Amino acid sequence: MLKIVNLHARIGDTEILKGLTLELGAGKVHAIMGPNGSGKSTLASILAGRDEYEVTEGSITFEGVDLLELDATERAVAGIFLAFQYPVEIPGVSNINFLRTAINSIREQREEAPLSGKDFLAKVKACAQLVELDGKLRDRSVNEGFSGGEKKRNEIFQMAMLEPKLAVLDETDSGLDIDALRIVSHGVNSMRDPNRSFLVITHYQRLLDHIVPDHVHVLAGGRIVHSGGKELALELEKKGYDWILDAQAEKA
Amino acid sequence: MMETTVTPATALAERVAQAVNQAGSCSVLDARQSLAKAALESLEYPTTRNERWKYTRVAKLRDLRPASASSPSNIPPVLADFNAHRLTFVDGQYQGGDVVNESGVFIGPLSKAAQLQDDRIKALDQDYFADNEWFAALQAAAPQDGACILIPDGQRTERPILVHHHLTAGDVVAQPQHVMVVGEHAHAEVILWTTCDDQATGLMNGALTADVAKHGHLSLEIVQDEQGSSHHIAHQQFRQAESSRLTVRTATARAHWLRNDLHIHQGGQHGHSTFHGCYLPSGNTFVDHHTRIDHAEPDGHSDELYKGLAADTATAVFNGKIMVHKDAQRIEAYQRNANLLLGERSGVYSKPELEIYADDVRCSHGCTIGQFDAEALFYLRSRGMTETKARNLMVQAFLSEVLDGFRPEIQQHVEQVYAERLGWN
Repeated sequence: MLKIVNLHARIGDTEILKGLTLELGAGKVHAIMGPNGSGKSTLASILAGRDEYEVTEGSITFEGVDLLELDATERAVAGIFLAFQYPVEIPGVSNINFLRTAINSIREQREEAPLSGKDFLAKVKACAQLVELDGKLRDRSVNEGFSGGEKKRNEIFQMAMLEPKLAVLDETDSGLDIDALRIVSHGVNSMRDPNRSFLVITHYQRLLDHIVPDHVHVLAGGRIVHSGGKELALELEKKGYDWILDAQAEKA
Repeated sequence: MMETTVTPATALAERVAQAVNQAGSCSVLDARQSLAKAALESLEYPTTRNERWKYTRVAKLRDLRPASASSPSNIPPVLADFNAHRLTFVDGQYQGGDVVNESGVFIGPLSKAAQLQDDRIKALDQDYFADNEWFAALQAAAPQDGACILIPDGQRTERPILVHHHLTAGDVVAQPQHVMVVGEHAHAEVILWTTCDDQATGLMNGALTADVAKHGHLSLEIVQDEQGSSHHIAHQQFRQAESSRLTVRTATARAHWLRNDLHIHQGGQHGHSTFHGCYLPSGNTFVDHHTRIDHAEPDGHSDELYKGLAADTATAVFNGKIMVHKDAQRIEAYQRNANLLLGERSGVYSKPELEIYADDVRCSHGCTIGQFDAEALFYLRSRGMTETKARNLMVQAFLSEVLDGFRPEIQQHVEQVYAERLGWN
């Protein structure tokens, strides 16, 4: 579904990704862990189409399409969703109006008929229940005055509404208490589907207790330096990253 | 023998007076008109050296040669399905509508109220602008017909009153005079809507005078949806008595060159004034809102909010003066002006002016000029919105604080005009 080959990217003069290669199959959950500054959020931003990053080498293909040729809007239309690490507040736009506009904009670009008001509201109800988002938050301005946990739940709510093929969760667990972590994970798990893949970026193994990945990758120095099964996360939690980085250094 | 030299401004005043007299003027109070004529001679024609006209250029207007009005055709319909009490004016002449004259309520053209010798129109006797501003004096020296709305004590209008003024094509001058007098405990809801022909190149120099008596309430929505390339200067003055309430919302939907001068005088205790406005000049257009509120008596409240965007090479001006008079204690006066610059060569000049001569007051003001939040734009696009839709939604969101205050029919109309004008539909 997603294939990243030898990706090099920089922001300004700083090279951040230095030959990242990663392949993600349909229906799979891959986790990316790694020390601070290793390029995890950069990867998420590039996948979503943020302009500030310049890709200098390598390729990203999504379902056979060159992703780097698509702008942020087109990627969403193609089925990519980024759950932001820091969701943006937009005063004056209600959550509901925002989602209706987004969904119908996507449908228009896919040459589908707009969702009827009734179907839309039924979907809102179902998705809001999934992440226990109450009516007040649905009607308020997008993320305005939301707590950290509410913002992250709102991201998962949007994901459920937009039904992407690939969801990238950028440190969705940061700033969550245990209850919110459970709710968010439940939301993600209910969305798991043979046709939907997840790329879960996190610092902590804690999230992966709830969202059990098929594969775990370690991103360090702008490259994937180690990959393994779900047990790798536990090992990292216990031993830290140094043993992998040391092994890398020895190889080099 | 002394030679008299006629200045270009005097010449313009003469041409305007002549054009107005030819088309039909509406003389209501002779004394007032004489005072205005005298003021016109002593006041100087505004230039950018004058602080109040620093960014508002009227030099070109001085060369205007008013043409006689063409026959009014294709007057655009206004809120076609909206149930309102309608009065229509074209180029300062009464065109038609539903005149009411019963049990003290008068809704109709000022010319008719003058014929009936209704004393209430003496509200026009005091004219702050005509004594101080050249263009206001020009209007008051040669006024034309406008709406007259007189609501006696304790009464209220059943339906909103929709006053529509249209300016026709060519170098036409119109100087309508609107009068509104709201009695004690009375209530009036008025919509003042101005349009111009797309070939209009003239001058709309209109005035509005309103008095709100004790515990009275005037709610006014002003919509300026003007095609063409005319100049429009609006002189709006409101006097409020004790415990009265005034709401003025102004939406400049479309205008080539427009200056709104708004003055509110709270002359009684416990006055309450809300004045909000929005604007979105684009292309090479110009919109200027100059406001002033005088808190002359204690315990007054005012809430001022103006928001706008300037696109392309357009310019927006906001100047808001709050004057708290001596011993007008316990005043609460809040002012806010927020702007977004959409064009690299667009400009916004924003200036709050607070003069406070009392020691127990709460006043605040805030001016901001910013740009689109790039992060918010990316967020919306990452959810599948096209750039166009995302920008449209952000403009809507930015202006909603002002536009939500209008009735839904007007809000919808103004939002649509903005979207059309920016090519966002």
